Amino acid sequence: MSRIGVFVCHCGLNIAKTIRVSELAEFASTLPDVVVARDYRFMCSTPGQEMIANDIKEHRLDRVIVTACSPLMHEHTFRKVIEKAGLNQYLLTIVNIREQVSWVTSDIEEGTAKAKALLNGAVYRARLLSPLSSRVIDVNSDVMVVGGGIAGIQAALELANTGKKVYLVEKNSTIGGHMAQFDKTFPTLDCSACILTPKMDAVLQHPNITLMTYCEVSEVKGFVGNFDIKIRQKARYVNHDRCNACLACTEKCPGKGIAEWDEGLVKRKAIHIPFPQAVPQKPVIDREHCTFFLKGKCRLCEKVCEHKAIDFEQEDTFTEIKVGAVIVATGYNLMDTKPLVQYGYGKYPGVYSALEVERLFNSAGPTAGKVTMRDGKEPQAIAILHCIGSRDKNNYEHCSRVCCMYSLKFAHLFKEKTSADVYQFYIDIRAAGKGYEEFYNRIIEEDVKFIRGKVARVAESSDEPGRLIVEAEDTITGKFVKLPVDMVVLSPAMIPREDSKDIGRLFNLSTDKYGFFMERHPKLAPLATMSEGIFIAGVCQSPKDIPDTVAQANGAAAEALTIVSREKMELEATTAMVNPASCCGCQNCVRVCPYGAPSFNYEKGVSEINEALCKGCGLCASVCPTSAIIARHFTNEQVLAEIEGLMEF
Amino acid sequence: MSQAVTPYLEMSQAIIEAGGEALKKCYQCGTCSGTCPWTPITHFNIRKLVRYGQLGFDGIEDFMWGCSTCKFCVDRCPRGVEIIDIVTAIRNVYSGGGMLPQSLRAFVGSLSARGNPWSGDQAKRNDWAKEKYPLYNKEMEYLFWTCCTVCYDPRNTRLARATAELLNQAALSWGIPSTDVNCCGESVRKVGDLELFERLKNVNLNYFQTNSVAKMITVSPHCLVTFKKEYGADYNIAHFSEVLASLIKEEKLKPKKDFGGIKVTYHDPCYLGRHSGIYDAPRDVIKSLPGVELVEMERNREQSMCCGGGGGGLWMEKLKGERLSDLRVEEALATGANVLATACPYCITMFEDSIRTLNVDDKIVVKDVTELFLESMEINIDEPVGDVCEIV
Amino acid sequence: MSFEPKILGIACNWCTYTGADLAGTTRLHYPQNLRVVRVMCSSRINPSFIFRAFQLGADGVLVGGCHPGDCHYNTGNLYARRRLAVTKKILEFAGLEPGRFRVEWISASEGNKFAEVVQEFTAQIKELGPQQKLKIEQLQEKA
Repeated sequence: MSRIGVFVCHCGLNIAKTIRVSELAEFASTLPDVVVARDYRFMCSTPGQEMIANDIKEHRLDRVIVTACSPLMHEHTFRKVIEKAGLNQYLLTIVNIREQVSWVTSDIEEGTAKAKALLNGAVYRARLLSPLSSRVIDVNSDVMVVGGGIAGIQAALELANTGKKVYLVEKNSTIGGHMAQFDKTFPTLDCSACILTPKMDAVLQHPNITLMTYCEVSEVKGFVGNFDIKIRQKARYVNHDRCNACLACTEKCPGKGIAEWDEGLVKRKAIHIPFPQAVPQKPVIDREHCTFFLKGKCRLCEKVCEHKAIDFEQEDTFTEIKVGAVIVATGYNLMDTKPLVQYGYGKYPGVYSALEVERLFNSAGPTAGKVTMRDGKEPQAIAILHCIGSRDKNNYEHCSRVCCMYSLKFAHLFKEKTSADVYQFYIDIRAAGKGYEEFYNRIIEEDVKFIRGKVARVAESSDEPGRLIVEAEDTITGKFVKLPVDMVVLSPAMIPREDSKDIGRLFNLSTDKYGFFMERHPKLAPLATMSEGIFIAGVCQSPKDIPDTVAQANGAAAEALTIVSREKMELEATTAMVNPASCCGCQNCVRVCPYGAPSFNYEKGVSEINEALCKGCGLCASVCPTSAIIARHFTNEQVLAEIEGLMEF
Repeated sequence: MSQAVTPYLEMSQAIIEAGGEALKKCYQCGTCSGTCPWTPITHFNIRKLVRYGQLGFDGIEDFMWGCSTCKFCVDRCPRGVEIIDIVTAIRNVYSGGGMLPQSLRAFVGSLSARGNPWSGDQAKRNDWAKEKYPLYNKEMEYLFWTCCTVCYDPRNTRLARATAELLNQAALSWGIPSTDVNCCGESVRKVGDLELFERLKNVNLNYFQTNSVAKMITVSPHCLVTFKKEYGADYNIAHFSEVLASLIKEEKLKPKKDFGGIKVTYHDPCYLGRHSGIYDAPRDVIKSLPGVELVEMERNREQSMCCGGGGGGLWMEKLKGERLSDLRVEEALATGANVLATACPYCITMFEDSIRTLNVDDKIVVKDVTELFLESMEINIDEPVGDVCEIV
Repeated sequence: MSFEPKILGIACNWCTYTGADLAGTTRLHYPQNLRVVRVMCSSRINPSFIFRAFQLGADGVLVGGCHPGDCHYNTGNLYARRRLAVTKKILEFAGLEPGRFRVEWISASEGNKFAEVVQEFTAQIKELGPQQKLKIEQLQEKA
């Protein structure tokens, strides 16, 4: 016989609108072993919590059922409430009548009926629950940050400044990310390099940061507080311990590769640093374009290197690193707009993508900051096309959030650096941010022309060879516009990195349909993920601008600190255990467990489970032919009882 | 006169109920109107049409007849709005109110009274065949569905005969429908007369059922789309260009004549291309012809420009300078082609009119790919060779 | 009164249960015949859970897990996939109509997929009518 208390939450009208909450509480009081049942406006509020605590004492409750929102929302809150009142936290059951009942119906009859069935199932299950004691583990105090763009740099610096040791892993040969490609940032127009370069340098100099460029995560094991991460150091063919960054090698190198940092607008050497302010300032050899690797002869770089740093024999190496928490900040790509043939990217040399234009403005870019086109001429008329692939069901449904603002920035820079007429073709101008509307107004006053209409086609001019015609409807007048221009700038959708799904698998992160990482909760846990101890920051979660990215990075650093600043932490007690009396020794459990938690004790002839390794999935319990393995908190008896309860109504 | 207007939501609701549900999704970005081939040359503006529909504004009737349902805007729309459904719904709501334009009245009247849009006598539907081709019966494999246009329009009866001859040359088992059948109803559906469409459809469905029709071949892409999408059954139906391309590939039909180096350009009919996704089959037919060079117009395949004949356009009067077919013929001329090939009777009619009014009939001719292929087999359709077919 | 089936859902905590929550937060409405049991991983599902549900009168059972390859526990759902395929065969061998048991992979971001699947599955079960084959009362009557 147990003594169960049932607490039905109204959640204001969120639940009470489509479930008759008082009827539900009355129904609860008729169920077996229920000694008290109440309903209340907000069960998670202080008076609600006190109500539960008082009832535990007054009615000597030994089980508590809270009938409210999803367990993913407040299970933790209510576990603490009952623990404080002297009850083991695992004697709590949550019935999810908000996300899975009241919010998914408009019919109060249906809603109330389903809530009753769910509650009945919970009562059946609650009667069979047992108290469990949490495991306490040691926590590694180091943190890994994956991705060396502005998000990763910021998070690494924040954490390092608190005294924590940080590993910053970057797959390129330099940190800096997309922000290092920009010339100016909106809306303040401050120089991107001027604000970013000092931070990049600080990363390199910081005693608490181990910078790992040209590295990739290849394996992730372990769990919160104790991750084991294998890192692949890609062969640079340059010994960075010996290299003194004189860069004599890059001058002599005859190999030519595509300059990724300049968006392919120019070529670079095979041995290279991506851009002058790169961190570290030490080169790598791009094997695909190196004359020696291609033809077996050359080694000019080796000859000019006074420090004997060139090493053609170098191979990829692997390092294992232990950390307590991880921040994933892997950034974004721009959509490839070539398949959208109507805009002519890749067909007409006068059509540019946004990042190419960023490089044209940049004084360290291919044109040294002069706006000259592929044909060497300065454009006389420029059209900037918004929403290319964004806000588009045929491509990416989301708004990329920053394009309106950088398009305005482009317009300003074009006006500053050329005498061109500048046109913006837009659907809506989204200037929601501090100082953004003001910036919009400023650009309007700079005599930039705004045409409200999405461009339908970019074609070659038949009258003036080399010029382009932009076709769109000006939706304000209803007139069809055919505008001759020299340059077309596309603002493509911001999309996840091509390998984001692989990164997601490595770290056990869910991704949305495009590959952006899913946060634990869109409002209340935007930086946490479903994987305990792994946090996300920046555009890998969704498109955002630099201020928001930096804010997220700081937030993620603080989240990581809440884990690594503790010496020990409690883990879920919901692990599996073996009842040796019924184990038949088949070792099915040993074979299926992805974590190696079960092992076979040959002396006793039975399996045993190492609780420190068990993550509580319950796979072993369901492959055990003799039901000798018990998945704590999800035992066969508990689940079957719940099913019985659910099917009764 | 006051310029103030009030949204008339009852009208907007009526459009939604007539099938224009998609109205709600539009955010007026202008992709449709920028894409629409009519925007640069007429006052018709598809975006405004949708906008007027959203708010039920008066004045919608001024430009609701402009759309030729070419589907270019639908494919580009970033919101996935089924714009043709909206056009059809708006026309349905208004033509129900008696606002059918004069030029469409004869067309709708003929469909209602005679089951075809060409004011042809229903009993004379198969006169083009001169009793040389068999009527379909249950033992046959294919029903050759003859579109009304190829039955009645004198120019297009040549296409009907060309198709029939090639079907015979390939020794397929086929027949034509009896004179009981009606127009597939595609155009009248797009004109908004959904009730008449249902009537026509039911007569045809009845014919298909009683004759156990399983496989169909059509020459008009408009019939193809209608049977596939609007008749509520999963027919095994193919456009003749697809059939022809596979017969050539399997070497069941072989061209003989060398055309001696003529240039042919191909116009993608909207209902074969964008509506049905068939771009390669007709091109494969052209490429199989000896001595023919296929040249592409600037706008082709998915980006092809409409001839203006869809959505009732074939029956509406358009002023000079407001005809898409004129622009398309000019585009074809710019390629230096001697032949403008296509695969739709509506396109043929539109282009022949334009070639005549533009006075360029000495420079370019319009041919269906079927006609071109028949020519390559050196068959004169006015005197059919052989007696492969039985005479009914 | 029209037939209102009882449908048991068993959902993994990380993908389908979260996806179901997302359907709720985005207020997607679907029929209320489904009652979901949460387990940590679809691999925890013992076939006896499903058999028992049908014996107790469930008209349909819907199991949801992470997409193959995306399991929170790396490979759990791959084991589940195989076991549930066999379970389906056994159920059909026992005489159950094929349409009454369904496995769907629904990720945490697929709230709309969850709603659609429930919508569709409920309609399908309604079409099939009350489940009689494995219900205990029915078996007892026969005995």
